[in-house]
Amino acid sequence: MHPQQGVSTSKYTRVFFITLAIFAVVFLFSEYLYQKRLMQIGTIEDNINRSILESEIQYALLADASCDTEEGGNTLLINELNNLTKRLAYMEDQRGADDPEVIGIKKHYSLLQVKDYLLLRERTKQCGAKPLSVLYFYSNAGDCVDCKRMGYVLTSMREDYADLHVYAFDFNLGLSAVETLKSIYKLENRLPVLVVNRKPYYGFKTREEVEALLPELSFTKSTSTKATTTAK
Amino acid sequence: MELLSGERPTCVAPPMDSYFTLPVYILLFLTMYFEVFVLLTYFEERERFAASPLPARPPGKHPSVTIIVPAWNEGLTILGTVESLLNLNYPKDRLHIMIIDDGSTDDTLIIARRYDGHPQITVKTKENGGKFTALNMGIAEAHTDLIGCLDADSYVDRDALRHIIPYFDDPEVMAVTPSVQIHEPESVLQRIQSVEYMVGEFTRKIFSRINGLYVTPGPFSIYRRSIFAKIGGFIHAFNTEDMEMALRMQSHGMRIENAHDALVYTVSPATPKALYKQRVRWVSGFLKNAFFKYRFMFFDKKYGNLGVLTMPFAFFSIFIALFFSAMYVKNLFVLAYERYLKYSALGIRPPSFGWPEFDWFSLNLEFQRLLVYALFFATIFFIIMGMRMVLTKFVFTRNMLYFLLLYGLIAPFWLVTSLYNLITAKEAKWR
Repeated sequence: MHPQQGVSTSKYTRVFFITLAIFAVVFLFSEYLYQKRLMQIGTIEDNINRSILESEIQYALLADASCDTEEGGNTLLINELNNLTKRLAYMEDQRGADDPEVIGIKKHYSLLQVKDYLLLRERTKQCGAKPLSVLYFYSNAGDCVDCKRMGYVLTSMREDYADLHVYAFDFNLGLSAVETLKSIYKLENRLPVLVVNRKPYYGFKTREEVEALLPELSFTKSTSTKATTTAK
Repeated sequence: MELLSGERPTCVAPPMDSYFTLPVYILLFLTMYFEVFVLLTYFEERERFAASPLPARPPGKHPSVTIIVPAWNEGLTILGTVESLLNLNYPKDRLHIMIIDDGSTDDTLIIARRYDGHPQITVKTKENGGKFTALNMGIAEAHTDLIGCLDADSYVDRDALRHIIPYFDDPEVMAVTPSVQIHEPESVLQRIQSVEYMVGEFTRKIFSRINGLYVTPGPFSIYRRSIFAKIGGFIHAFNTEDMEMALRMQSHGMRIENAHDALVYTVSPATPKALYKQRVRWVSGFLKNAFFKYRFMFFDKKYGNLGVLTMPFAFFSIFIALFFSAMYVKNLFVLAYERYLKYSALGIRPPSFGWPEFDWFSLNLEFQRLLVYALFFATIFFIIMGMRMVLTKFVFTRNMLYFLLLYGLIAPFWLVTSLYNLITAKEAKWR
């Protein structure tokens, strides 16, 4: 049987349209997945909104209750926030930090964090305790290598201490709530910076150094390990 | 694991917007176009790719064949090469072997002289002048219907010639190439090459089906003797005389076929340096022949699919390979950098136990990345098809993994040097 002699225009055209079709299908599939991701993020945001509302009601109800009660925080809310953190990181990575949709979600996420932080502070204030929280300001504009390292440390701590609330804010996000936090704590543009018990700590901190800033952690460790295990 | 912002998972997915350029999409489109063309051709002619039983041939219907064995310092391998030729399943009176010592400085000639007086073998020696001069000497002295060449570091399968000969029943076929494979691959480098050669055989078969072959490999390509009278013998051709001969044949409208069942095994470079030198010679030779001598064939419909598809793509594929390699190296670098940062932040931490959580959300399914995945799967398909053709079955081997993981890291070295050689017209050394 002879090979295909000469240039078959019809074959070249067919291959062109098949290739074009593959590009189109891949593009549409990719867009479909992106939309699914947006929807998933929307669902998570809804869950967070509901959880915050629940927390507000819960804190209001507990205001008159004894501080000895076990209801120290809304673990569901923490989980949802963590869930959103993870997804936002991927979105930011794939679409780029400058993507308007990513920035929009990030701003919303930051507001939700501030809200959760306020509720936590309110609750602990009622009971005369210190909030077990860290405000973490970072930059991913490529000018802060230590921010990545700090992120690893805080992620690892959050895995180990279920009661630890870590609130991460993009220093350059341009969100008024974040700007207010920056001015309240008089933060300088030296990143990363952690705010623990209203006091800023600049530069990379090892896990041991962060633990030393939060002595209450040693008390919660066993409980949180248990909580993490049972929650999963 | 949860991730805090500021700890972006660049190890999983580097920022793709940095690749978001038109040239990259053009490269991806061209690669996809070529792979679709290959796959379409395969599905159009898939029955031609199956292993065929040894063709029966009536007595007296065997064309006479001379196999020239040019040898320069091949004392270690020449004996095996000649013995494999003597062992060919072909009538003895129709097969002649011509060993041509090209002024070796080792014991090649002494070993070859052992065959003096053998009814099938002639041994000749000459001053060193390069492989092409040895081949031309053999061509001038041969009087058989067909002339073949076998490098003195290669071995033929017993039935190789029997698989090749039927292609010459078609009077339009002027040369037939075999399926060249790696002889007993042992080192990782040789195992990578063994998979590369199998993929190469699949594409060579495809190219033969669209009359687009641009190389008649040194190991056991067989030619009609008459072509040399028409288009002349081998020339130096930047140390790639086999490539130049194929291009010259194609430029004269002479058809080249591929006999995928005709297996020939060649000793492959075992060290990175030897491999690098071999590949620089090949790629530089192709580029120089294509650009300095046969540029007129590019995009000229007169030269069929060779001019319109296979030659231009062979050129573009260098840039495509460099692009994919750069992407791969960047990912590996970022992964290593992330690991380093994590280690420097946390030190060595005990691994967490339990099943890894699958989350489709974390899969990088961005447009360009999906296209790369599609091309990657096409490459795996090529490997599988190559393996099926050569081994007549598909077996998963570690060689495949070596190829997939390492080829992209080593190929850029010779590709970049070859491009540099082309730009500066620096000649590649033979060895």
